[in-house]
Amino acid sequence: MKSPMKTAAALAAAAALLLAGCSGGSGNGGATGGTNTGGSSTGGTGKGTVALTIAKPDGAITTESHNPYLGDTSASMYGYRQVMFETMALVNTADNSVVTPRLASSVEWNDDYTELTVTAREGVTWHDGKPFTIDDIVGTFDMYLDGRLTDSAALNYLGADVDGSTATLKFKDSKFVKRGSVLHVPIVPKHIWDNIDDPSTAPLTGEGEAIGTGPYTLSSWTTQAVTLKANPDWWGGELAVPELHYVSYGDNAALTTALATGDADWAQAFLPQIQKSFLEVDDANRQLITPTAGAATLFLNLTRKPFDNPALREALAWTIDRSAYVDIAREGASAVVDSVTGLGPSLQKDVIDEFAGQVYTVDIEKAKTILTDAGYTGVGTALVDPDGEKVTFSVSVPAGWSDWNTEQALLAEELKQLGIEVTIDQPDWGGWDEARQQATFGAIIHWLDGEGAWGVYDSIMGTRWIDKDKNTAQFNFGRYDNPAVDEALAAYATADSDEARLAAMTTIQKAFVKDIPAIPLGAHPLIGLFNERSYTGWPTEDNMYASADPTQAEITMVLQNLKPVS
Amino acid sequence: MTTTDVTEVVTQGTTATQAAKARAKVPWRFLGQRAAFYLFTLWAALTINFFVPRMMKGDAVDNYLARNREISPEAADALRALLGLDSDKSMWEQYVDYFGMLLRGDLGVSITHGLQPVSGVIATALPWTVGLIGLATLAAVVIGTVGGAFVGWKRGSRLDVLIPITTFLSTVPYFWIGLMAISVFSVGLGWLPIGKAYGVGQEPGFNLEFILNVIEHGTLPLATIVIASLGGWMLGMRNMMLTVLDEDYITVAQAKGMPNRRVLWRYAARNAVLPQIQSFALSIGFIVGGAIIVEQVFSYPGVGKMLLDATNAKDYALMQGGFLVIVLAVLVANIVADLVYAVLDPRTRQSEA
Repeated sequence: MKSPMKTAAALAAAAALLLAGCSGGSGNGGATGGTNTGGSSTGGTGKGTVALTIAKPDGAITTESHNPYLGDTSASMYGYRQVMFETMALVNTADNSVVTPRLASSVEWNDDYTELTVTAREGVTWHDGKPFTIDDIVGTFDMYLDGRLTDSAALNYLGADVDGSTATLKFKDSKFVKRGSVLHVPIVPKHIWDNIDDPSTAPLTGEGEAIGTGPYTLSSWTTQAVTLKANPDWWGGELAVPELHYVSYGDNAALTTALATGDADWAQAFLPQIQKSFLEVDDANRQLITPTAGAATLFLNLTRKPFDNPALREALAWTIDRSAYVDIAREGASAVVDSVTGLGPSLQKDVIDEFAGQVYTVDIEKAKTILTDAGYTGVGTALVDPDGEKVTFSVSVPAGWSDWNTEQALLAEELKQLGIEVTIDQPDWGGWDEARQQATFGAIIHWLDGEGAWGVYDSIMGTRWIDKDKNTAQFNFGRYDNPAVDEALAAYATADSDEARLAAMTTIQKAFVKDIPAIPLGAHPLIGLFNERSYTGWPTEDNMYASADPTQAEITMVLQNLKPVS
Repeated sequence: MTTTDVTEVVTQGTTATQAAKARAKVPWRFLGQRAAFYLFTLWAALTINFFVPRMMKGDAVDNYLARNREISPEAADALRALLGLDSDKSMWEQYVDYFGMLLRGDLGVSITHGLQPVSGVIATALPWTVGLIGLATLAAVVIGTVGGAFVGWKRGSRLDVLIPITTFLSTVPYFWIGLMAISVFSVGLGWLPIGKAYGVGQEPGFNLEFILNVIEHGTLPLATIVIASLGGWMLGMRNMMLTVLDEDYITVAQAKGMPNRRVLWRYAARNAVLPQIQSFALSIGFIVGGAIIVEQVFSYPGVGKMLLDATNAKDYALMQGGFLVIVLAVLVANIVADLVYAVLDPRTRQSEA
């Protein structure tokens, strides 16, 4: 009797630990080109009767918390916080220069972006009927001041001057590169939050605590679905969709089935073979892809061979076929990033004149010449570096991220032309995460972070991401280290004039073009999967007033614009 | 099992007098030894539970940053403070605190569930897991054991074909059975919902509508688990039956002209079922561990996927809480198995007498 029992206990522990072994994870967004019908609509006129079900592939979300400031609450994971709580303004995902005022009727920055003047919109009420005022905006930000709310985006808010219904919010440093973060802070009612003990973690499950100004109010919360009802007093007008259901399926396969059968109406997931599994199932099914500033980027480990040699990185840039990434790996759902500056299609206005129109093409001969000139031998057969060592490296992407797994195979094939042997590594998330943080990889494909062009360069070249004591990096995985670039990144973020920003951007782009610290492949899209069975007025490729991704803050603009199919 | 049944078995045994004596007084020494052993195992399991998550590479805040990209790395220290990871307590101090918290029933807060108490997070998932996997295990054991007894009794008949069929079904990867079931019964025929524990818009409560809804949603996952796990139980029972049927007392019973039904259930199956009960008691412990693939394929809430996500996200508090529940369940199941076995099979008690 003793031994089976011991074994059983040990097995239980082992089984539990084994769970660490299998890691899920889906790539991010994407599929074949949109088939949207044109035509736009204005304003929500008329009321529909059909509820919309918004679905996620994240497994059961079983713990109730409506806190909009915390990342892993049910409100954030489902994304229903976006329709419950509103922000001062909405920044367009595709083009961050387009700002739509929401709770603030006007937003205005000063020249060096350290002060934001906002005016509270009139005629807005909270879900509990109390009027919304400028004090609610200031009260929300003041929670950062006394530390009741954790300043997770490092806004460094200093305080506000209130004058009537207008307030000037002051910040310690320039918020130019964090405009979106400031404007997208969820505004919460002061009369309720003054009495909340710990705003950073409060679940808001108490009676009358989950109160916002948004178009939908919380109606019921169960571990299987969350229901929100249209707010009849919403300042933005009458809403066509009377009810929203938020649900979460076990994985992408289950979500695909739900979308195909009509159990779910609206999702943002990446579904392989979208044409067959979703678009062809029903004539009313639609997909909309919105490119963003971020790009899938091949990070090269600059701290060790073979990528410590810039000539090899340049040769790679001339060899990798970015259109193969878009067409084959992403099934068309991406856009080629081929500018030598690494900036994608939505950021072309940020490319400095010197590099305008300069792009990488697939030019194997040029790549070979670069390698030969740099002292490499065996070019095109079995590449050997100037020190006499064979050139070989591994590309690492977590198993199951199907689009990027395909790209790994494409890269291995393409680089054979230079005589480089590429091994394909598909670890679980944990192993991949550790390697990227500690720079023990050869090359990885990764997304980028931050707003606009600055975000692209900051996440590829900024050393602020690297924690030297712990030897970990949250971005800049290749460990690029150039004090001049760090200085320029900081200067750009704090500049008080367009000239100063241009000067800093010039320094950064020149360094990027010269050093090739990483190779962006294709723009990262936001994806919206939905249907026009009951409602029209969705954003289209011709009229992309918002992305169709239901987890983005812009969802309220889409809901405002929907009207029932007659 | 009634007292007369036990006495019957006991008096028929070869060690009747000794066994009857042992049964008359409470075997304190036996129970004490068992208790001490279980306490030691509990301590060891809890200690492993404490150290193993801390030996994993990476840290919860790094993971939190990776998942929540709006957060600036400068805010990492503030986050560490928020999550209670900023303390520079020694490992020993943490270890003492850990046992103190366990005694108070405080399992900490879960980072992956909006900093809600771990006990609450587990409490929302556990009933679904126990309900679904528990019922499915029970059904598989009963059907498998009864079926196995029949197949064993009628050896050589056409019923034998059940063994390769059920064994085959249990070797087919579960997700495939699950996906096929969904595609046939949910998408194709539209008889049953494609997943989840209950429908959108349903309010949990003790009313007929909700209960029927839960049953409707649970049918497909339950049926597929039973189909996938039947093979082991049936094969085990059938093989034990074959061994038992060769025993002399079966021949004697039949020679005395006893009805076949009585020989099958009272003499053969009753002895053959002992290892099944043992396996069943052990499997009870694993029921609370959940079934990741079931939960994933059928979007069913439960402990398995929750623990997988917690492990991936290095949510120590939730991992420890979940593993604690599993460890406790396995230990309790073992105690029950020990006791039941001691009652059913007097030989296990004899060494103590």
